[in-house]
Amino acid sequence: MNAHERFAAYLAGKPVDRAPVIEWAPWWHLTVQRWLGEGLPHEMANTEALQGYFGLDKCLQTSVVCRTAKTPHAAEYGSGIMKDEADYEALLPTLFPDPERLLSDGHFDWLKQTHERGDTLHFFTVEGFFWYPREMFGIEDHLYSFYDHPELLKRMAEDYTEWLIKVFHTVFSRHRFDFMSFAEDMSYNNGPMISKALFDEFLAPYYKRVIEVIHTYGIPVFIDSDGDITEAVDWYAEVGADGMFPLERQAGVDVSTYLDKQPSMAFIGHFDKMCMKFGEEAMRWEFERLLHSMRRGKLIASCDHQTPPDVSIDNYRIYVKLFYEYAAKVTHADETVLPCPVFSGDGQACNSKGD
Amino acid sequence: MSIFQEISEKLQKGRAKDVSALVEQALNDGIAPQDILNEAMVVGMNAIGEKFRTGEIYVPEVLIAARAMNAGLKVLKPALTSAGVEPIGKAVICTVKGDMHDIGKNLVKMMIEGKGIECIDLGVNVEPSAVVNAVKESGATVVCLSALLTTTMNGQKDVIDALIEAGIRDSVKVMIGGAPVTQSFADEIGADAYTMDAASAAEVARSFMLN
Ligand code: B12
Repeated sequence: MNAHERFAAYLAGKPVDRAPVIEWAPWWHLTVQRWLGEGLPHEMANTEALQGYFGLDKCLQTSVVCRTAKTPHAAEYGSGIMKDEADYEALLPTLFPDPERLLSDGHFDWLKQTHERGDTLHFFTVEGFFWYPREMFGIEDHLYSFYDHPELLKRMAEDYTEWLIKVFHTVFSRHRFDFMSFAEDMSYNNGPMISKALFDEFLAPYYKRVIEVIHTYGIPVFIDSDGDITEAVDWYAEVGADGMFPLERQAGVDVSTYLDKQPSMAFIGHFDKMCMKFGEEAMRWEFERLLHSMRRGKLIASCDHQTPPDVSIDNYRIYVKLFYEYAAKVTHADETVLPCPVFSGDGQACNSKGD
Repeated sequence: MSIFQEISEKLQKGRAKDVSALVEQALNDGIAPQDILNEAMVVGMNAIGEKFRTGEIYVPEVLIAARAMNAGLKVLKPALTSAGVEPIGKAVICTVKGDMHDIGKNLVKMMIEGKGIECIDLGVNVEPSAVVNAVKESGATVVCLSALLTTTMNGQKDVIDALIEAGIRDSVKVMIGGAPVTQSFADEIGADAYTMDAASAAEVARSFMLN
């Protein structure tokens, strides 16, 4: 079974030879720095090389944003590049690059070659409808903007939606990614940062439109949000998302409850990164905790965000060894998993699930 | 509806201009500034804190309420000063060295100010020595340290060590918080309190100052 077949079959609840063994996030630079000091060869210090070095299934991200080289940068961490409608108007000529020129022919050739080789999962990432205005306004002003600039926020989401739809048609007609993700990070340890009412007004209508388009290409849509997403998982299900990651354990997430309440959604992550520094026994316990949910289908176990710098390279090697050991225990041979059309790869829209 | 209630309600809805105008009106009506502070604004922020803690409202609603409170405080401050009203205490707050996360720290600060406590905000990525200096200069009795990363949470201990070294550990209560922080970590590093949310943090800071 190659990586694509395994990924698609796994999420469709069909039998697999083993579970995928992936890291979806690039590594934290401080962790890589530590590992370089512990013998990691310098030429291995990039995401693709690291995945190969540790023997993981390759899982690589292609991401695009709607800002260009002409768009100004935020002056400092977390600050924005606009305050009001006039600033937005001034930025507009620098935003929304031609979708045809976002990715080079060389990039598409590389996607095709590595896809055909069969060992690499590719996912496509764009900023979500929470993350994108946050980059524009800056973190704090964005949170105020729901009350200070509601019409502007909607105008920005509308413009962004139009552009995204063109991007998806352009990119997906040239390459069928294994899945796609919206970077969102709208939750923290105590739940979502915004209410369902704000979500329904400022995010949901736009998500529904773009996800409908993505589903015409048969590509499953994941939302990437840290923190406790127990409430938000239902909100994203409502707009048609097929899954979420990384299901941060530290924030109190318990995937088994999500599998109960959203049985047609899939999840990636949930392996508690905080236990990795304690060595083999702690990591084994953590895989044991996840095994039941993995067997139910729809949970692709993976580190619940980046491996922290307190994890030695030896402990990370043990993690990969255990990962394969537990991945082999999940073949879905005698499990019944509720399939979702988009995961079964028949190209049908998934948001028609349930109706 | 009494003017106190009106101020509290406008504050909770984040109506900064209304709060300023009502505070002004209350002062003109001859109401004591400390009563406006305690009976209207602190009451409003307490309600916001409670609603945030129980998940009835979310981060943007807290931010706009805190902004409304600050607008009211601006009008109220001169009157408080001339009436000789002192804040119930002073707290120094920051996100520790190496850490840039500040949304949680800002919420804690707003909630603490909502209790009528003066808050000296040192920002993010703060050296232990800067905390020591701020405590010495301000005479603050509470230090609030935020850390969102496992790599920086030990920075909370570094601040405690610096306070010990400077000989002022016993003059302050150290409170810690942030996503990876737990009560057991607080116990381990000898912090005086940990809370998992901003409203409880403000409650604890207030109780430290009143005891
Ligand atoms: C938003 C966010 C960011 C934003 C921060 C913007 C900003 N200006 O703050 C950005 C995108 C910039 C960012 C950057 C990074 N982040 Co970050 N981030 C988050 C996220 C999603 C939410 C944090 C947040 O804002 N919460 C909202 C507020 C309201 O909550 P809070 O801070 O927890 O505060 C509440 C309580 O904790 C408490 N509290 C807070 N402080 C205090 C203090 C006291 C005294 C008390 C009593 C209580 C208290 O009250 C608050 C309100 O009730 C978290 C996920 C999570 N689970 O928290 C990851 C997270 C913290 N980030 C993480 C990481 C790894 C990073 C980066 C290292 C990523 C990278 N590789 O570059 C960088 C680090 C940069 C740096 N040096 O600091 C990891 C940390 C993992 C770890 N091992 O420690 C997390 C947990 C994500 C994850 N899934 O793993 N991040």
